[in-house]
Amino acid sequence: MKSETHRIIKKLFLNASAIIGFVLLGVFIVIAIFAPFIAPPKEGRDPYMMPIVTWTSSPQPPSPEHPFGVAGKRDIFYGVIWGTRTAFRVGIIVTVVSTLIGLFIGSIAGYYGKLFDEILMRITDIFMAIPFLVAALVLAAILGSGLNKVMIAMTIFGWMYPARLIRGNILQVKEEQYIMAAKALGVKDYLIIIRHVLPNTIFPVLIQASMRMGSLVITAAALSFLGVGAPQGYSDWGALLNYSRNWMLGGQGEALLYWYSTVFPGAAMVLFVLSWNLVGDALRDVFDPRLRV
Amino acid sequence: MIVLRREFYFPSGVEGLIVLIFYIIRRVLFIPITLFGISLIVFSMIGMLSPYQRLATFISSPDRLKSENVDQLISMYGLDDPIPVQYGRWFKNLLQGNLGWSYVGKAPVLQALLQRFPYTLELTLYSAIPIILIGTWMGVLSALHHNRTLDHSLRIFAVVGWSFPDFVFGLFVLMIFYSTLGLFPPGNLSLWAEGIVKSTSFRSFTGMTTIDALLNGRLDVFINALRHLVGPVLTLTYVQLAYILRITRSSMLDVLQRDYVRTARAKGLDERIVINKHAKRNAMIPVATVSGQTIVGLMAGTVIVEAIFNRTGLGSFLALAAQQLDYASIMGGVLFFGLILIIGNLLVDISYAYIDPRVRLD
Amino acid sequence: MNTNDTILNIENLKVYFYNDYGQELKAVDDISFQVYKGETIALVGESGCGKSVTSLALMRLIDSNGKIVGGKINFNNSDLLFLSEKQMQNIRGKDISMIFQEPASALNPVYTIGDQIIEAITLHQKVGHHEARKRAVEMFKLVGIPDPEKRLNEYPHELSGGMKQRGMIAMALSCHPQLLIADEPTTSLDVTIQAQIIELMISLQKQLNMAVILITHDLGIVANMAKRIIVMYAGKIVEEGDRHDIFKNPCHPYTIGLLRSIPRLDIEQEKLDSIPGMVPDPSQFPQGCRFRNRCSFEDEQCLNQPNKVNVSLNHFVYCHHWKKINQHSIEKCKIDE
Repeated sequence: MKSETHRIIKKLFLNASAIIGFVLLGVFIVIAIFAPFIAPPKEGRDPYMMPIVTWTSSPQPPSPEHPFGVAGKRDIFYGVIWGTRTAFRVGIIVTVVSTLIGLFIGSIAGYYGKLFDEILMRITDIFMAIPFLVAALVLAAILGSGLNKVMIAMTIFGWMYPARLIRGNILQVKEEQYIMAAKALGVKDYLIIIRHVLPNTIFPVLIQASMRMGSLVITAAALSFLGVGAPQGYSDWGALLNYSRNWMLGGQGEALLYWYSTVFPGAAMVLFVLSWNLVGDALRDVFDPRLRV
Repeated sequence: MIVLRREFYFPSGVEGLIVLIFYIIRRVLFIPITLFGISLIVFSMIGMLSPYQRLATFISSPDRLKSENVDQLISMYGLDDPIPVQYGRWFKNLLQGNLGWSYVGKAPVLQALLQRFPYTLELTLYSAIPIILIGTWMGVLSALHHNRTLDHSLRIFAVVGWSFPDFVFGLFVLMIFYSTLGLFPPGNLSLWAEGIVKSTSFRSFTGMTTIDALLNGRLDVFINALRHLVGPVLTLTYVQLAYILRITRSSMLDVLQRDYVRTARAKGLDERIVINKHAKRNAMIPVATVSGQTIVGLMAGTVIVEAIFNRTGLGSFLALAAQQLDYASIMGGVLFFGLILIIGNLLVDISYAYIDPRVRLD
Repeated sequence: MNTNDTILNIENLKVYFYNDYGQELKAVDDISFQVYKGETIALVGESGCGKSVTSLALMRLIDSNGKIVGGKINFNNSDLLFLSEKQMQNIRGKDISMIFQEPASALNPVYTIGDQIIEAITLHQKVGHHEARKRAVEMFKLVGIPDPEKRLNEYPHELSGGMKQRGMIAMALSCHPQLLIADEPTTSLDVTIQAQIIELMISLQKQLNMAVILITHDLGIVANMAKRIIVMYAGKIVEEGDRHDIFKNPCHPYTIGLLRSIPRLDIEQEKLDSIPGMVPDPSQFPQGCRFRNRCSFEDEQCLNQPNKVNVSLNHFVYCHHWKKINQHSIEKCKIDE
């Protein structure tokens, strides 16, 4: 047992990309935790709202008081730092809830098979035939803006992926000898699922979940970018990018002048997603090198 | 996409053809059911809005809302009937080919959709082809140079690409290539080209600007359209390319270890033939599975990309409709999208059965 | 044996592998033997003894993490180790052919079996598709596949295990090679099918006057098919000789162990005899005789590599104590009877 853990830890950390992934993720976690110290909010105000710091509508370049510059009249640095918390909050909640839902549905479909499987898979197909972004957009637009509504929308349209994955794995595992042995011994179905099936099929789901963290945050940001989602001035990377969008469309090199309005929030997003992808890769290498992409 | 199960075998020859035809028929029969399901979901989402909100899409100016006619209007349009009744009404109209009036498109919904569809199709095609071709080529290359420099660089490229949100990339493209270099402007066409296309002398065959331009013999319009396509295509392609690269690479690495590759070598075949004929064909199988997903990703991506690059198309139409709560457009748009996706997936599934003869079509 | 009839002469072949930890694994360590025209020679031993690696080295199909570090492989008056890849490709499938253990995974699943055999024919025999197809049908008839025209259009997964193996044999023999290497050809097949395949191979060998290197751990097939037997252990040859000599007069403790561990129906056995111990890890071969840790006759002499000793005509053994061992086993056999 000890050597197994030893092997896992060794594998996790000897890999260059894994190290980068974990370090990056660590940095983000630190930033999220220490946000109030890094970018102190004004007294009495909601810390998630980016402070308005200027009256001019065009973006201001980085300066000592505003290290990342100003866009949409708000401090970009503040937005990026607190946006880290937003990203984690949205990402974790949506990932966890949608994965749990998906696990539940997928397990039933996979384990009981036949009619259950057919029906549940058709429903899954239907949900999947609607482009995620479109569906989330429509639902969020209908439910009203606000991050909570966005999270609900993403959860409702995000459970299908873990569901299909676990269903596929269960279908494979179901035919394995040890399951038949358990059945022959008279073990109750739900116990078989919990004790035998899930432990063997859960790892790809975990890996997928870590990858989805990244794409979910992207989608949430896309929704904010489109104006649906976080309210005006909320610390959200997508909202920050929305501010920069209009300036990017101005020709004659204007956009490059305002590079900071895009680069800083953009870089934060890319690095955040990258870290989750690398961590997911590292987990995959450890738990099942056969799945290696 | 209906998951293909590989438990049984696909017979060859005439038998196989019959099985294939039955499979297609069965899938096609399923389409209305799926669309029905989609429409139910979207309609029930819209049903959550109050009649007042939904009325707003029929009214062009806010002033009219203030008049006492509001309740009259609501009952006139049947907005306070029970939801199932409203759905039934919508469905009946649908069967007659009437999808309602599009507020954002200022035209009947169906017409608005059909008009914009070719633009999105064009964008998707111009992206899908490079993604598959370049992605698989890079993936094979990466696998063949396993663990050497080329492999590592390609993999870094792939991981970073997969992490880059498409709209951020689009913004960067605009920032660098358009704003600074003036190379790839947003929109579908420059003003002068637009004028030509809209004129009566320009015949529209497919609705896709590039093809139509060629068919009309206007090379200048063609090139202009291409210039406007580069930015969005780059943005759409980049992320999916990374994914295809990774899938191809891992699949190729796996196949290269297989026994039949060794047999092929033992027969005396040249290494190039071993790779290109024996290994690749097997390696492409998982890629085919994934390409269905890629199509979905592409179509979903057009929503954002068309919005960023200010292009006309199905994606931006839907985005606008969602933002404005134009529910007729939303219903029609989502259904249309759904139909295209389902057909696309079906085509992919069929080609998958052709590539891998072991597949059971179920 | 007339040396004019030698078609393959392997001298001091060494094949080493290198693993991720940088260790050198001596999979094949200095072996030499000859193969004569039209005869079947069996390479026998447990998994990991180096017999498959030897055959792959012959074809120069060793994986990239292995290297042929020394020796000569003389085939038809040229040293295969000095040929270019292109020249080797000419030989593979045409002069030397190979069939593998698992026909299910050794055949490409996405092409019909007909396509795969026609590919081999058009490659080496320089004929058009039509003619190649005719020859493919003939080959199928030769290996006993019924309804060959129809079978050509089928995919590997549509054929039974025995049929697949016949198909593989057809493919391998389609260009009438001088030498066929059969690596565990029947191991993955049902017992009744095994017998059929062996009979088929024997008859084909006679018809085509082909030499066969039969690689196996199953002494039963060896008894049926092979003229000479080479016993390998841990990368080295430990005994070689004619079939009769090996079965009746084994001299190496490993050979004796192998023979004795075959379950027998004709005498009463309370326990199956097995050779105590395990095959040593290739990265940690014992010094001297590699079998010594499992041998009850071991002494200090065994710390040196045993030399090749001539027991009788064509019968050689590599053991210090072979005389004693041989005597002991004969006595033991007498007791058992």
